[in-house]
Amino acid sequence: MEKNLGCYAVELEAVSTYYYGEKRPAIRDITLRIPAGALALIVGPNGAGKTTLLETILGLLKPRNGRVVTLGYEIPRMASRARALSSYLPQDFMKPPAEPFTAKEVVAMGLASNNPAGRLSEGDWRRIDRALEMLGMLEYADKPFGKLSGGQQQKVLLARAIAREPKLLLLDEPFSAIDQETRSYIVSEIFPSLLEDGCTILLVSHELGHSHMNADMIIRMADGRIERVITRDVHAIH
Amino acid sequence: MLFINSIVGGIFAGGLCGAVGALCSRLRLMTMAFSMAHAALAGSALALALGADMTSLAMLFAIMTAIMLGPLADYLGISLDLISMTLFSLYNALTFIFIISAPGPALMTESIGQLLWGSILAIRPTYIAYLLTASIIIIAFLVIFWGRISSILFDIKLAEAEGVNVKAYKYVILVIAGATITLALRITGGFLVFSLLYVPAAASLQLQANMKGIIASSWVLGSASASVGLAMSFLYDLPAGSCITLAALILLASASAYSKLEASLASGRRQ
Repeated sequence: MEKNLGCYAVELEAVSTYYYGEKRPAIRDITLRIPAGALALIVGPNGAGKTTLLETILGLLKPRNGRVVTLGYEIPRMASRARALSSYLPQDFMKPPAEPFTAKEVVAMGLASNNPAGRLSEGDWRRIDRALEMLGMLEYADKPFGKLSGGQQQKVLLARAIAREPKLLLLDEPFSAIDQETRSYIVSEIFPSLLEDGCTILLVSHELGHSHMNADMIIRMADGRIERVITRDVHAIH
Repeated sequence: MLFINSIVGGIFAGGLCGAVGALCSRLRLMTMAFSMAHAALAGSALALALGADMTSLAMLFAIMTAIMLGPLADYLGISLDLISMTLFSLYNALTFIFIISAPGPALMTESIGQLLWGSILAIRPTYIAYLLTASIIIIAFLVIFWGRISSILFDIKLAEAEGVNVKAYKYVILVIAGATITLALRITGGFLVFSLLYVPAAASLQLQANMKGIIASSWVLGSASASVGLAMSFLYDLPAGSCITLAALILLASASAYSKLEASLASGRRQ
């Protein structure tokens, strides 16, 4: 199937994903549609299946049952095309002090998959500087990534995700190490600007502490299932 | 002429091994490289038994191993490390069977010495031409695809999530490692090839903090270890592999001492 130009950025239909060797699915029977350009908040306790859901959407985990379509591409068959248009900020991002890359190199390598042979243009380097500046990390650009604090490492990875100018941004606990002031700035300045450019944002959090971020959808998960989906006008659709 | 060939061969073989070792250690492909080295050893031993060309069969065994390791691990549902060590046992068993099956008094021949502990007699102009070609291919691969390779070296899962074909790049690196090990085997021998793969990488980690610097200095330290070791082998008529290993370890000890001294001087200046 070629690209399906629907109005949904993400579509899942009766999807179940299992980890290797496990008999019990990590997520089961998930049916969900996330409109393009929406900010969706996925909440739930530890072990609810939030990270599994994100990784299934990107094809990093292969669903055993059901159908996944991300940005119009069938997953996992055409996952590489969907991934090239997406950015992902993983939950386990911390690197040791001896990490042999600078902050700027880490952001730059994020653009590699979108360029022939991974070469970067002048314009790409400007985008990298802009993204670092946006997160207040430009002055640390030449510092070794591993020598930055947890919060600074998370900001650099967020800059990498933004610099890719994604159509779909998947953020797994993106504020776990970031201070309150920066969180507010990201939510009030960066997210609206990305949404305005047509980006769809899926943000995973274990607690509903970001209600102030004006999410278009709140997806509550528990025990591998979707418990409830609430749209912005608090109209339950499940 | 043999001495000059040894130095030139050492510079290329050591450099290649150093750079490939730095990549493999960063990507945690060490046990796979270990398995490929012993595949090359078994291939060379088979060539000895059949009277065939050692480099060709060694290369075939190493590259076939690189290609089948991943699918075999997936098929059997066991880890890559475990399947690598299982194949390592198989290749060692085959090596001894092939050596014993070789015609004539195999254990007394120069070929066996070359196979097990390396020999400077292996360094001929055609061998240097192979090394030069492999060096050009590896440098070109690293320079052209550095953007994506560095992304994989930083974080495999993140690179995959961003659409980099991680599996393909890892296979290419494994095949390059297989070819490099096969070439280096002739001068270091099957049991000491790891001294050129990993000791320069370990030494360069003492000196460099940046990935490009680590690869470049692994190349330089590998070249230095191999050329000094081969010169020692030539001058004192000792096994080439042993001399290269000793030279590499001396460089590692020096790099480590230098790094510690520099750190203590920097700490003194701060106080």
